[in-house]
Amino acid sequence: MGKKKEEQIIYVDSKGKRLDGRKVDELRPIKITAGVIPRADGSAYLEWGQNKVFAAVYGPRECLPKHTASPYKAVIKFVYRMAAFSVPDRKNPKPGRREVEISKVCGEALERAIFVEKFPNTSIDVTVEIVDSNAGSRIAALTAASVALADAGIPMRDMVCGTSVGKAGGKIIVDLDKDEEDASDAVDIPIAMLPNSKEVVLLQLDGVLTRKEWDEAYKMAEVSAMKVYEVQKQALKAKYINGEADANKAEKKGVEEK
Amino acid sequence: MTKRLVIPGELVTEERKKLGSHVFVREGKIYSDSIGLVNDEADFASVVPLEGKYAPQMNDVIIGVITSERFAGYGVDINSFYPSFVSKKELREVLKPGSIISAKIMKVNEFNEVELGSIRLFFGGEIMPVTPVKVPRLIGKEGSMLNIIKGGTGSNIIVGRNGRVWAKGGNLDLLRKSIEKVEREAHVDHLTDRMAEFIQSQTGGKKPEAPRGEEMFGEGEQ
Repeated sequence: MGKKKEEQIIYVDSKGKRLDGRKVDELRPIKITAGVIPRADGSAYLEWGQNKVFAAVYGPRECLPKHTASPYKAVIKFVYRMAAFSVPDRKNPKPGRREVEISKVCGEALERAIFVEKFPNTSIDVTVEIVDSNAGSRIAALTAASVALADAGIPMRDMVCGTSVGKAGGKIIVDLDKDEEDASDAVDIPIAMLPNSKEVVLLQLDGVLTRKEWDEAYKMAEVSAMKVYEVQKQALKAKYINGEADANKAEKKGVEEK
Repeated sequence: MTKRLVIPGELVTEERKKLGSHVFVREGKIYSDSIGLVNDEADFASVVPLEGKYAPQMNDVIIGVITSERFAGYGVDINSFYPSFVSKKELREVLKPGSIISAKIMKVNEFNEVELGSIRLFFGGEIMPVTPVKVPRLIGKEGSMLNIIKGGTGSNIIVGRNGRVWAKGGNLDLLRKSIEKVEREAHVDHLTDRMAEFIQSQTGGKKPEAPRGEEMFGEGEQ
């Protein structure tokens, strides 16, 4: 009986709508705020659908313990951590296999974007805390971390943006949520890229895709990543454009008083 | 003069221009490497950054805080990538953790490690932080901004290039507010005029007493 019920889930209906009403190439709503943590060199808060992520950047600063430093480049210490209350069942706060892996791949993705060779013997510490999660949190972490790095004024070749693409119910869809990720034939591919050069800096895949499906998925990921890039851009600029508006208002007020 | 806000990886220009600071070239086009402002009419393609750490440069005057004492000298926090060190040989004063000094950068190596010279110990006062890349805005053209602030607050002020402002006496609350205003509006034009107006409105046009010739540098105990 249970099995039969499972088969009844339709991931993409005849109108092209998904379980939560999105189209196949539609992202969940993204909201980014830069500069939320005053004591950090750079920071960002991101909401991506149900995902809620804080990213903080410290550095470049002295690399301790000293044997981890490199005289050729800055070392990026990326820490991805999930809060115990970020998932339906309590998560053991001890960093697990999954978190260590995500920290490694995300750190390496960022290293490609940052001019690490400008800061020998230093470390750039990036900490990302997942406060609430619902699939796609590693890309959310990377997106937030990239905004935080720009907010810290660390020289970068490009931002890092991305999305997950995948398959659920036999259809290729963008930005899978938890229900879609749990489909019996689900394929999930987080992809992160540098938006200007379209260079892929992170790609992981579990599941099986045909060549044709992959081509379609990659094309959709590229388009969606650019949408994420636009949100990042707006978030970074908003911090200053709002300040400008305040200044102009103050000026106007001053003129009126005169 | 119009300025454009760019983020890392954003195109600065497709023309062939001389390279200024905070830009890099890819496939013949010039891109920004930081969040900052671009002046499209300038001969140089360069970005004036709005965020960033202090990168030490020779002959800069900086403000440091003593963090530790060792046998031969003191560890100094200079608000940059690494802490620095001053030798006891060069000092007449006895310092202790928490002492504030002004120093000149004599030498910078390829690891951005610095050697300090002309060390002077501050006598009292307090330090206020400012984003290091905004220090030039705080000083203004030929010190114009700093003169306005000094005139309005009546404080003794020394600005370190590493993003620290030492101040003593006068209206320190107004000074703190002024620094915050510079931080917030550093990227908007005519800041100096607005700052003059701001200080006028805060003090009600009253001239503070001229900075008294207070002791700025002292020896040993405060």
